[in-house]
Amino acid sequence: MNTGIGIVGASYYLPPKRKAVTDIFRDEQIPAEPLAANVDFQRDIGIEAVHVASEESATSLALNASRSVLEKTGIDPGEIDLIIDFTSIPEEHVAPTWSAAGIVQKEIGANRAFATAVNTGGCASYHTTLKVACSLMAAHDRYRTALLLAGDKVPEFNHTYYPITVICDGGSAVILKKGHERQQILSVEVATLGKLHDVWYIPGFHRRDPADKDRRWLHMTANIPKFNQEVIPMNLFMFRKVMRGALSLAGRKQQEVAYYIYPTFSTWDQKAFCQAFMVAPEKVFTDGLQRHGHLQETDMVLDYVDAIDEGHIKEGDLVMLTTNGAGFSWGAALIQH
Amino acid sequence: METQIGIAAAAVTLPATRRDTRSLFQEEAATFNSEIRARLGIEEVPICNGESASMMALAACQEALRRAELDVAQLDVIIDYTILPQEYLVPAWNMSNKLQHELGAKKAFTVGFSGGGATNFLVALSSATAMLQANENLMSALLVAADVTIPGNRILNPSDPVSVLGDAASAVALKKGVEGSLVIDTELHSEGSNHDVYYIPGGALAHPDDSALYRLELDKERFDKAPKSETLNDMLGALLARAGVEREDVVFALYPNLSCEDQQQFADGTGFRYDQINTHNSKYHGHLQGTDFVINYLSMIQSGTVDKGQYFLAASHGMGFLAGVSLLKM
Repeated sequence: MNTGIGIVGASYYLPPKRKAVTDIFRDEQIPAEPLAANVDFQRDIGIEAVHVASEESATSLALNASRSVLEKTGIDPGEIDLIIDFTSIPEEHVAPTWSAAGIVQKEIGANRAFATAVNTGGCASYHTTLKVACSLMAAHDRYRTALLLAGDKVPEFNHTYYPITVICDGGSAVILKKGHERQQILSVEVATLGKLHDVWYIPGFHRRDPADKDRRWLHMTANIPKFNQEVIPMNLFMFRKVMRGALSLAGRKQQEVAYYIYPTFSTWDQKAFCQAFMVAPEKVFTDGLQRHGHLQETDMVLDYVDAIDEGHIKEGDLVMLTTNGAGFSWGAALIQH
Repeated sequence: METQIGIAAAAVTLPATRRDTRSLFQEEAATFNSEIRARLGIEEVPICNGESASMMALAACQEALRRAELDVAQLDVIIDYTILPQEYLVPAWNMSNKLQHELGAKKAFTVGFSGGGATNFLVALSSATAMLQANENLMSALLVAADVTIPGNRILNPSDPVSVLGDAASAVALKKGVEGSLVIDTELHSEGSNHDVYYIPGGALAHPDDSALYRLELDKERFDKAPKSETLNDMLGALLARAGVEREDVVFALYPNLSCEDQQQFADGTGFRYDQINTHNSKYHGHLQGTDFVINYLSMIQSGTVDKGQYFLAASHGMGFLAGVSLLKM
């Protein structure tokens, strides 16, 4: 399989304000439930500071990233046929009624496009969106250029996703083009385990407790016992499944993969991935963890961009982008450089 | 567009309770008179009374799969086209995953789409068709939605009513290689400046605490100003030209049940006769978001209006934001 679609360019935007993780731990309630992994969450997380959007909106994060990728690639917004927002946490207005795709379309002047949003997959929403976008572009001659975007801003005092990571605010954007010869998307594989749909969730306004002045109904909520009992035992199995699926679709072997883009959750998570799949740590982009922590689905874009810019990915490399998402979703994509 | 993808079956779940329009207007303190009644053409709507959205969606999915004779274990993808808020906050959570579990669709993966009102169904239809066409290993898809109205928010734009919202769920099974209801092509276009014509202003990051803003709102002025039928007519022309189909060969149009007035405007703007659109479903169900297409499709099939080999449309202006037209062949 080769989708015939390439990544023309990718970009990200991080708001300038930063907050030290020690300050986040001081300001936020850290649950007392023990971790399944034998680690100390606060001591071993491996993140120094995260970016905080403050007054910047989630949409503005996505918009800044979109403008950046347009400038970087020289793509005229008038060429864009398809805009898909793949943000995985709440935006300015309630979804699925609304997404930021339309306002980004307006602001960049992509008058020819149709704008929509993929609203499932958690941090694997980038893979789900790649699957949808590549399918639409492969099936229709008229979809030649796509803009994929995300903008994530967590509510104040909800930067800690215990027992996984600490969250950074930011936006990302990617331009896909049919027939683009470089950075070709060879295959995309996604998998979901529906029974884990409620391990991570945000209650929503209709479930709020009127006495809750901390807006916890807008906070990411974890069912930690279910995470420990049902996600942990399946996680690496599902990673193996989607990576094998992507390799099989592309007719390639794991040994051919030169570099991996993997989420920046924590030191112990990165170590577990490398050990489980016998991947040398230098073949996985891990530097972003300390710099900024985890950016939901944007990890896949941000770490990919930095890995290229910092010389980890070279011409001819086969690159595997793989992630899990919200406890129920996994994705793998193979990119031929 | 070589692989034939078609609708194998569809199903709708309606809650048992019904409310008449007049009493809903009274309850929401909106003016109701003969002019508004005629303009809307909605007499009553189905209303949940204890049923959850996912409960209705599950029933619709199971019925669609049964009618399609599709083994749930073989289902490849589940796509959610719901427009109204779900059981938890989207996009952090999506009903499609709960349904995957409750259906036992272990092989499937899930996708959901946001925005565009009823046109979200056409986005799902187009994307599902493309996924089945572009991926050899994907053979079937289940499209599903369940829309339950925010309490006290059934009259859309109470100061100058545009529609009355009911509650419902629907599901559509798509398969590779079916004989009828083939999805030929879909045209989609959004007008970004109208991204907030139809939305819920509060309850998320912009106005998190303001309960008065946690309701579906329509900006009637911009809605009226948007060239809805003209846009759909232009898109229909482009779609038919691409498919090599003449307009007179299209015998029926599935169109949302927003109101009689809106349906008439579409008929006038595109050259269809009103009887090529009307299925009387607006009168008894009101507007059910994307489920309008499914309930009207089932009525069209039941009426035998469209013969084998004839073309029909599904079209929606998406409230002036996201317009879509799909061409199908019986």
